[in-house]
Amino acid sequence: MNGHGHGHVVSETPDVGLPDWTAGVHRAGNAFDEMIARLAPEVDAIVAQYEDSRSALLPLAHLYQEHEGYVSPNGIAAIAHRLGLTPAVVESTVSFYTLFYRKPVGKYMLQVCRNLSCLLGGAEEIMAYFRERLEIGHLETTDDGLFSYEEVECLAACDRAPCMQVNLEFFYDLTKHDVDDMLAAMRGGTFPVKPLVQTKRPSRSWHVVQEAGKKSAGGVGVVDPNNAGGLGDRSGIIMLDRLLTEPGFAQRTRERAAHEPNLQIAAEPENE
Amino acid sequence: MPDFVTKVLTQGIGEKNLCDIAVYMDTGGYEQLRRAFKELSPKEVSDLTSGANLRGRGGAGFPTGRKWSFLPNNGRPRYLVCNCDEAEPGTFKDHMLLEQTPHQIIEGILISAYAIGSHHAFIYIRGEFKRGYEIFRDALAQAREKGFVGKSVLGTGYDLELTIHRGAGAYICGEETGLINSLEGRRGEPRLKPPFPAVKGLYGEPTVVNNVETLAYVPHILKNGAEWFATVGPERSPGYKIVSISGHVKRPGNYEVPLGTTIRQLIWDCAGGLRDGRTFLGVQPGGGSSACLFEEHLDTPYDFDSIAKAGSMLGSGAMVVFDDTADFVKAAYALIRFFAHESCGQCTPCREGGQWIEKTLARLLDGRGVETDIEVLVSAAHQLTGLNLCALGDSIEPFLASVVKRFESQFRAYLPKTGVPEKVLV
Repeated sequence: MNGHGHGHVVSETPDVGLPDWTAGVHRAGNAFDEMIARLAPEVDAIVAQYEDSRSALLPLAHLYQEHEGYVSPNGIAAIAHRLGLTPAVVESTVSFYTLFYRKPVGKYMLQVCRNLSCLLGGAEEIMAYFRERLEIGHLETTDDGLFSYEEVECLAACDRAPCMQVNLEFFYDLTKHDVDDMLAAMRGGTFPVKPLVQTKRPSRSWHVVQEAGKKSAGGVGVVDPNNAGGLGDRSGIIMLDRLLTEPGFAQRTRERAAHEPNLQIAAEPENE
Repeated sequence: MPDFVTKVLTQGIGEKNLCDIAVYMDTGGYEQLRRAFKELSPKEVSDLTSGANLRGRGGAGFPTGRKWSFLPNNGRPRYLVCNCDEAEPGTFKDHMLLEQTPHQIIEGILISAYAIGSHHAFIYIRGEFKRGYEIFRDALAQAREKGFVGKSVLGTGYDLELTIHRGAGAYICGEETGLINSLEGRRGEPRLKPPFPAVKGLYGEPTVVNNVETLAYVPHILKNGAEWFATVGPERSPGYKIVSISGHVKRPGNYEVPLGTTIRQLIWDCAGGLRDGRTFLGVQPGGGSSACLFEEHLDTPYDFDSIAKAGSMLGSGAMVVFDDTADFVKAAYALIRFFAHESCGQCTPCREGGQWIEKTLARLLDGRGVETDIEVLVSAAHQLTGLNLCALGDSIEPFLASVVKRFESQFRAYLPKTGVPEKVLV
């Protein structure tokens, strides 16, 4: 299975007869390989916590994101390889969760609550002020790669509205003055919250799926043979938006499906 | 603070460092764990819980003892999952318990796992609660050191593992089958029921999913007896409850009270009432999914059945209060946008309907509404209910419908003056 000559270290893999997904996407000796090797014991410990190794999917995505700054295609392939899944299954799962960033993000992820209690507590003003000061909008990253900004749903701190998180640390009872201080401290390197790891320069936005209308259940996608889940499990479906927006993806998927009898394309996008 | 505010789960919070196991044990912590494992049979523990008539504190209010009793005796492994994926708009009680008193949660989980005969329990912690996760992880390490978790708990020969699983940002994972899918490493999409988790849950095995607050009450019921809990508040909906109060009140916060306390007492006596010079317009009594209640409901007892009778629900116990500065169109928009955003996309009514209503409200707020929008909002919302796998789709209608009915003039005020959108005029 590991016969691709790359010599990268991947911890013990269940033998389910799948190819080594990691072989095609990362190169031996690079920083990613080193990360995988370094984290292997931790990965093994995480997997060992569960009766079924697939349960480790979210924890591993958290772990790799912590070390790479986002869940990269390499990370997805490595998780797939370790858990005996296909990258499609891992990507489809990871894409369901808003805290997994599938593209590089800024060093400070600013997540301001936009839900009801914060709204009643003046969140509109705070959100407008962030947009004005950062000159970016919802789900965008500043050109210097320092800030990513997102308006999020209820953070369960409604008694201290308006509230937000910076790299998942809470900040409460926000005022415009706090926003100024916060941004100045982040720019000046004196902010108390550790910046996120950044291994790649972020693009303008990190979100692949921005509209609920692009969610997968519309019927376009690839049904994966690893989808052995319970009733209602659609985890094998690749996101519709990727089929529609990524150049050549649908074509490559069709080609892949021609060689892999277990894969079937549930429906074709109308145009590419 | 009024004397009906009680300190059961909230005992010591803000006064002591309950994250330290020594401090927690000084307050009598883990004594019930010892008693349960050494002196009581699993059946005795679950009988106490049933006898206390403890109803689920996560939202549905299902009797906990009955939920446990649904587990089949088929010799298969059983799992207990503690649901700490608190994300219902307005709710912040589990967040507080997790960060302030993690050992109480651990003790509740361990005792309950023993009661249902589970050897592997999980806690699913909302991804955003990073600090809470770290606090809980450290507390669990302390408990493990004391021999409360792991192989042969307290030397009794009963093995019990507790695994922490972090979510990653998805409201729907608070739904128990969505949570199970997420715990299995899948998209957090709810499953078709039946089979219910008690029969076929995590890894296809019998599983119980209980809320943090529910499980945290279990040690106290053991300590004080079923009667102590069952005789507080209304007969069919007894015991204590932490109510999260936010919005337009002077002292927002978590207040632990006997169920049956009135809404008026909660808003005025606990949360200090409205800001000066303001008048009361409404209260959402049970999180973002619940219908708004109004002035005529202020003396309604705050318990599962009375709130349901008043046309709303107690839900997770989150009250959001509105004074006369509230814009109910914006409030409805914030909640509908939330549900549309958090829809997992499996069921068409929820996926399409939520967005559709969101867009209609956005258009109205943008001054581009049309006369029929208001009628359509209500009828469209009504057509989503009861047609979905889980309760998320059914949660879109209640608040919207209740405030459109009551404050229709606020919605109408957003209509363009001519009643015809500008685009049509050009």
